[in-house]
Amino acid sequence: MPIGDKKREERLEEEVFNKLVDGSDAALHAHNEAHQAASQVEPGGYYRYVDSEPEHHNDFLTTYDDVVAEVDSDAPTRTLWSDAWGRLKKNRLAIIGACWIIFMVIIALTADLWAQQLLGSPTAIDTGTAAATQLQPPSLEHPFGTDSVGRDVLVRVIYGARVSLSVGVIATAISTVIGLVMGAIAAFYGGIWDTLIMRLADIFLAFPYTLFVIAMLAVIGNGIQNVFIAIGVLGWPSIARVFRSAILSVKENDYVDAARAMGASDGRIITRHIFPNSVASIVVYATMNIGGAILTESALSFLGMGVVPPNPSWGIMIQDGQQYLATEPWLMLMPGIAILTTVLAFTLVGDGLRDALDVKMKDA
Amino acid sequence: MLTYIIKRLIQFIPVFIGVTIILFALQNIVPGDPISIIGGDRALPPAVEEQLRISNHLIEVDENGEPLHDENGNYVETPLWKRYLIYMNNLLHGDLGNSYTRGMTVNEIFAQKYPYTIGLAVTAICIEAVVGIGAGLISAIKRYSVWDVIVTLITSILVAIPAFWLGMLLQLFFGIFLRQVTNGAFYLPISGAGGKMAEFPGWVYYILPAITLAAVSTAYTARIMRSQLLEVMNQDYIRTAKAKGLSRGKIIFHHALKNALIPVVTYIGIDFGAMLSGAILTETVFNWPGVGYEIYRAITQRDWPIVMGGVTLIVIVVMVINLVVDVSYAFLDPRIRFGAPKDQS
Repeated sequence: MPIGDKKREERLEEEVFNKLVDGSDAALHAHNEAHQAASQVEPGGYYRYVDSEPEHHNDFLTTYDDVVAEVDSDAPTRTLWSDAWGRLKKNRLAIIGACWIIFMVIIALTADLWAQQLLGSPTAIDTGTAAATQLQPPSLEHPFGTDSVGRDVLVRVIYGARVSLSVGVIATAISTVIGLVMGAIAAFYGGIWDTLIMRLADIFLAFPYTLFVIAMLAVIGNGIQNVFIAIGVLGWPSIARVFRSAILSVKENDYVDAARAMGASDGRIITRHIFPNSVASIVVYATMNIGGAILTESALSFLGMGVVPPNPSWGIMIQDGQQYLATEPWLMLMPGIAILTTVLAFTLVGDGLRDALDVKMKDA
Repeated sequence: MLTYIIKRLIQFIPVFIGVTIILFALQNIVPGDPISIIGGDRALPPAVEEQLRISNHLIEVDENGEPLHDENGNYVETPLWKRYLIYMNNLLHGDLGNSYTRGMTVNEIFAQKYPYTIGLAVTAICIEAVVGIGAGLISAIKRYSVWDVIVTLITSILVAIPAFWLGMLLQLFFGIFLRQVTNGAFYLPISGAGGKMAEFPGWVYYILPAITLAAVSTAYTARIMRSQLLEVMNQDYIRTAKAKGLSRGKIIFHHALKNALIPVVTYIGIDFGAMLSGAILTETVFNWPGVGYEIYRAITQRDWPIVMGGVTLIVIVVMVINLVVDVSYAFLDPRIRFGAPKDQS
């Protein structure tokens, strides 16, 4: 549970409530009555306040938004995120992971400025010199050696970072957005929506994951955009589950009831109250998910289903290196180390965030 | 308990129908006619092609089994919903259809492939259980020691390692490097059960693929074991046992371990289900003739009956194993009783 923000919310709702009480006894009475009349026991066993007409509250007091704006103006400077950052800073492994990720991102983003000039093209095959430059062991000129058609392995690893990082981030973004929407609908509206969406999630999770992604790619075709889509679209069920249970636990809090009693709309409750209080678990989950997406992309490319050659992808490079395993092992070693360190970095940062944000996760 | 099992079995039905519908939809969105690409560049003889279309229920036939034609002389395609119903009907009778490319029934193919997958999964689960639980125990008992750090480090790395790359590293070290160093006296086979069986006794072929397959799950098992044991050690009954003056070893192995093992056993059970889904990557790297690789090959060759049949089989196997795991949970932990007004699961 994200302590900082929850405390802040509780304080905020308390102040809102005090201001309501200060208004007048009659207003308080009216408020309480509306409170009771509007509450009813849901089939799930919890109380739910049915949204009563917001304008009703205008009659006797300032609006919900006015009060929130007033209280918000003297909000504390210590937030959930500054607290979490304080804890994260002390986690040496997470900081090492974060530095590695930043390093890879900088390399990937700036590659066009220097990599090709220094090491040659990552894709083009120079047929004239290929025979002379192929399969060279690591040297000063080619720190990671050259591959079977004379391309520098280092420059391909660098450009492969672009593929892996973009797949990790974009695919995770797609699954997170779909998962958030699905999870929010399921948890917030409950009933038939909950059943429908969670059954759909069960169906998706019942498939053997790798085979499902491969089948999907067989349908929509290879290529990096389709890898984004396939991994992104098939990743939503687990995020929807995480977000759904986060919402369900946040929803039980009194401040959500209070907000609803004061006439806040569903949209406002989700964006202002529920989302900020479950964002910690989403951030942790998404960070870990990036590592998983990078692994999936490398596996797909290794099988020849992902990124299309001659584009460099770490998975393709390992697959290329497979036939030279006995004689030129560096061909598969270097891209493998790149995958391992990148995924490890995301795992370490995810673990660090989990501890710093104090998110409870099911598995170890 | 019985009500719970029946309830779960009923819950299977919509999921199962959903899975088969999605698979059926997928195969029909794929561009290209699967029958016409079987022959590759050479076209199949029209009679053979017609027979394939009829036997796979792709076109309508009259009561004599002769294909129907529309006014332009083309075949009348069977509508999708009808093909789905025919498929499901055959499925319920245990018939998964015929492969487009292999000249065998899908049942025969999986009867051939499944033993290899099961063998590999069982070996991998043994490794996972022994090594994972052992490492987790050491790490929890000797918390914050060098051993704990080593186990934590190795599990973090194993979780981040691509399985196919780990397989190749093992091949490189045990198959190639050891062979060179020992002048061929000691090494392990780098390819799977399809290799020359005379060279080694059969079980040797299982070693490297099983380690590869077990690696990630072993890491998770060790982590779960560690965190569970540490959690249980904080509970009141352990404090009572300590106060009674029991030795540390007795507390851990007689009192704590039993309860700490429950989530571990659950995880291993569910993982066994996942391994029976076939391990495409491990099977590809080691040339292992299992179901994962077979389905992957079928997808690339658009041999949809194998894909449909294989995935359907896997989904059933995984669902049954998950149910068995959940039910055994209640036996392992008597506090859990299904069907009570409020499930504690």
